[in-house]
Amino acid sequence: MDLETVARVARAARISLTEEEAERYRRDLTDILDYFKVLDEAPDGSSAGVNPVEVADALRDDEPRVCADAYAMLSGMKTYDGYVRGPRLS
Amino acid sequence: MSPDRLAEINARYHMFSAISPEIPEDAGFLFSAKDNLTSAGMETKCGSRILEGYVPVFDAAAIERMKAAGGALVGKTNMDEFGFGTFSVNSAFGVPLNPFDPERSCGGSSGGSACAAAVLEGHVSLGVSTGGSVSCPASFCGVYGLTPTYGRVSRHGLIDYGNSLDKVGLLSADAPVLGRRLAEISGRDPRDPTSCAQPELSLSGKRISSVAAPEEALRGVSGAVGEAFKASLDRIRESGADVETISMPSLRYAIPAYYVIATCEASTNLARYVGMRYGRQDGDLSLGFDDYFASFRTEYFGDEAKRRILLGTYARMAGFRDRYYAKALRVRAHIIESYKEAFGRFDAVATPTMPFIAPRFSEISAMSPVDSFAADFLTVPPNLAGIPHLSVPCGYSEGMPIGLHVSTDHWREDLLASFAEDWSESFKAERAGVGQ
Repeated sequence: MDLETVARVARAARISLTEEEAERYRRDLTDILDYFKVLDEAPDGSSAGVNPVEVADALRDDEPRVCADAYAMLSGMKTYDGYVRGPRLS
Repeated sequence: MSPDRLAEINARYHMFSAISPEIPEDAGFLFSAKDNLTSAGMETKCGSRILEGYVPVFDAAAIERMKAAGGALVGKTNMDEFGFGTFSVNSAFGVPLNPFDPERSCGGSSGGSACAAAVLEGHVSLGVSTGGSVSCPASFCGVYGLTPTYGRVSRHGLIDYGNSLDKVGLLSADAPVLGRRLAEISGRDPRDPTSCAQPELSLSGKRISSVAAPEEALRGVSGAVGEAFKASLDRIRESGADVETISMPSLRYAIPAYYVIATCEASTNLARYVGMRYGRQDGDLSLGFDDYFASFRTEYFGDEAKRRILLGTYARMAGFRDRYYAKALRVRAHIIESYKEAFGRFDAVATPTMPFIAPRFSEISAMSPVDSFAADFLTVPPNLAGIPHLSVPCGYSEGMPIGLHVSTDHWREDLLASFAEDWSESFKAERAGVGQ
């Protein structure tokens, strides 16, 4: 993995890296990806589900209900007039 | 036990990141919970500075059910940040010290839970395992650690690391407690659809009558661990069960498949931590949103969290996704099929839990990321496959505990509960030190 790729991945992950950190993670990720190469020769199973056990659909009745107290949840957030405050969009 | 007494014990071992201000004297039993389970009115930080100040408004399902069974939550236990680690050293809020030797690790990532289970009399702690985070610390601290089938215990209120891998488990020095408490915390919960396909847990007392020991499991373990494991197999034979050595070549693919899936899932699950809604929110709102989000994530995620987020983000990127993530899912299916084949002939698969005794902190700091990942090669396969597993103390070397790891087929926790009880009657485990 080269430094340009590390920088691209870090931008996508919204993490800023110093030059020293970028070089360290480049080295670490290169070692880890080398270690993962054994996957290339691994046999495939007959499926590729995203869960290790079968998962059933669990649908509730289509009735409105309160699942959590929104006002209590807002108490831990920065709010303005009942809205969560966030940074500028541009 | 008073909060003051608990604080005294905590000053020695650092197992808790928070202690309940009041502990009712008439509680049916006392328990603690890993700090990635939400606790109403009690700060929940997952070992991460980015969640400092987060006080959930609801209890995780497992905590809710422990309380409904008469339990009192006494504290939240220290852990590797978001579960990212094998030794509990990646925590922003204190590193738990092994009660057998404070210069050594408790294991991770539920290190604080194992420490509390080892030190506190009659204690049970809720841990969480993604790739071995209940078994590893149970082994290093000489206690019993039970990780149920994926989906057996609701994940409602469990703060995700790898959502297709995370499981709430139990740690205790008292083996019979495991089955009893598992029956209380398991069951369907519509708030977590992955819990809704489970068959009923029936603790009928049925016993393991045949055990497979994969020959691959002894490659790379220390001499003392290998000897303790062989002695454990002899003990199982003496109890009347058949023990046979088998080959499971698929096990060698488990570590890379696991770390690909876990980091891919972690990198998406941790995208929500951006200085809004949870935890720290003290940034400059006049910044543009990219700069605002990046400033929090850069400042407050620890080194290992960043490494795993970067790895998972890379593995999900266009051009790499099929090579890594899609391939890892197919390899997981292959490993599950290998286990199913073994369970067609045997009730259980046994290996050592960890390849070595709890390492010293000085040894851990010399390990590379790959060395740390590789240390999980025995605990990762059953976790990746979502099958239930149990670590029991089975020997000692240099005064430190060694663990035996027993896995059964999906939903067969009943066999593990019986095994733990029987084992505790035939093997006399040593206690590290007891705090009253």
